[in-house]
Amino acid sequence: MPADRRPAGGAAPGTPALSVRGLRKSYGDTTALDRVDLEIAQGTIVGLLGHNGAGKTTLMSLVAGLRRPDAGEIEVLGRSMARDARRARRELGLAPQELGIYPPLTVRQNLRFFAELAGLRGRAARQRIEEVAEPLALNALMDRRAAHLSGGEQRRVHTAMALVHRPGLVLLDEPTAGVDVETRARILAHVRELAAQGTTVCYSTHYLPEIEELAADVVVLHRGRVLTRGGVDELVRRHGDSAVELVFSGEPPALDLPWPVTRHGDRLRVRVEQPQLVTGRILAALGDAAAGLSALRVVKPTLDSVFLRLTAGTPGPDAGEDRNRDERTGAVRHG
Amino acid sequence: MGDSALNRMTALVRQDIRLLLRDPAPLLIRTVMPLVIMGFMQPLFRAALQAGGAGTDVNGAEQGVPGMAVMFLFFMMNVVGFAMFREHGWNTWDRLRAGTARPVELLAARLVVLLAAAVLQLTVIFVAGGLLFGLRVSGSWLALVVVALPLALSVVMLGMALVVLCRTISQLSVVANILALVFAGLGGALTPQSAMPDWAVPFAPFAPSHWAMRGFNEAILHGGGVPDVLLPAGVLCLFAAGLAAVTLVFFRAEDRKLSWS
Repeated sequence: MPADRRPAGGAAPGTPALSVRGLRKSYGDTTALDRVDLEIAQGTIVGLLGHNGAGKTTLMSLVAGLRRPDAGEIEVLGRSMARDARRARRELGLAPQELGIYPPLTVRQNLRFFAELAGLRGRAARQRIEEVAEPLALNALMDRRAAHLSGGEQRRVHTAMALVHRPGLVLLDEPTAGVDVETRARILAHVRELAAQGTTVCYSTHYLPEIEELAADVVVLHRGRVLTRGGVDELVRRHGDSAVELVFSGEPPALDLPWPVTRHGDRLRVRVEQPQLVTGRILAALGDAAAGLSALRVVKPTLDSVFLRLTAGTPGPDAGEDRNRDERTGAVRHG
Repeated sequence: MGDSALNRMTALVRQDIRLLLRDPAPLLIRTVMPLVIMGFMQPLFRAALQAGGAGTDVNGAEQGVPGMAVMFLFFMMNVVGFAMFREHGWNTWDRLRAGTARPVELLAARLVVLLAAAVLQLTVIFVAGGLLFGLRVSGSWLALVVVALPLALSVVMLGMALVVLCRTISQLSVVANILALVFAGLGGALTPQSAMPDWAVPFAPFAPSHWAMRGFNEAILHGGGVPDVLLPAGVLCLFAAGLAAVTLVFFRAEDRKLSWS
């Protein structure tokens, strides 16, 4: 841990910022979370990924104490949400998915209210408000009513309100939903700063490149369960689907190669771990059939493709086009 | 300053004051409207009081000012409802719940500002009634205060009970407006209690407005002092306590309320 990091909430070193064990939650017959175990170390960023309805928002709601779990334990910096809720909540900052601000009040009044609720007054409150306003570029907006701000500006105010009491664990539920590129960049930069200062960030998003940009630890939720967890590189390495894809002007030929080859209409997909190293061998194996080759692409796995593969299985031929749009491809036009 | 219940309540009260000052129109309208109506209805109230045997020296303000004050105070249930429902409309309710304030603190802090607003509304109407319409209190002004405080508390608690029982602001608005009119009628705010229709008389004691008007009449028309209004004030306290119990029993912090905003 860097020297400038502060201990969060007086928790002992090594105490997880968040510890979730055996968490279950159902709504009627629908199971939203099923035996979820999750541990997040202090000062780290964890990206929660999952399709709509995977359980991300439910998990955040339970951690924030907005809903009661049917079973399981939640501890924030060692404090039980069931037995010591107030102290646990003191260490928690929540920016829910839906924008939650006071439109008739100014940005300063919005921030001051949450600072006062946390027990900050006078100079301490003013100082803390400036500290959260500056990195989110709110200084120039402080005396404007929240209702008169753009969507991106409101989203920054919304995020700042979760940080003003200096929580040890911040829950950001889709913090960049509907914002422009600049606001997204500011929020991401600030999340990195927070983590560098020792704040733990649990970050839910549908924009997977954000997770790659944050170099966050990834937790994939699927149908209420933790499907997998790891760093971006680790997941890509473990679950990535790299390949060489060959597109033909006519019927693809049969290929004799030591790697799995699948046929999808006018294209062949050769699954290999390091495609850039074997393209020559594949071309050689084509022989005379190389004349019918119209394109060759080196398909490198991304977090997007890993996520789709994990949550939906390897897409079939129809899904291939959509998936490839999200992958980093190196295309080589051929004859 | 630390994170104590008192500090959290203070922060919540300050926030409600900010919001009230940002949009004081609903409170202003509910304070001005009774005075406007009073201007038109004073002769009618004078005639009704004289017909009821109140003597010839009444000017109508003795019925009109407390009557309109009581009726429009009950319309304040809408203000109470809006103060709670807007938190859901702005998605700030969950943010508050995720903080350290207990749900009961979130409710109690609301009561402070709303109760102050209700008392302020009554005060302005009574003072303006004296200055503009010649309201004369033959008994004790303090007796008016002794009635007004539990009345204001009853109205705010009735609003809170409606908040926990209604799912949408529209439901609350409909129920609150109907109740305000029914209570105005049953309580003797629209007509003197002596002129109420026979069918309404048995139901009147079930309306808090009845006890408020009884207390106000005692002080204004019959020269009553504080001891003479203790019974109506006590009944109003019971109403407030009962409504507080309903609020606490049915309040679920996690309930989603639908607001149009």
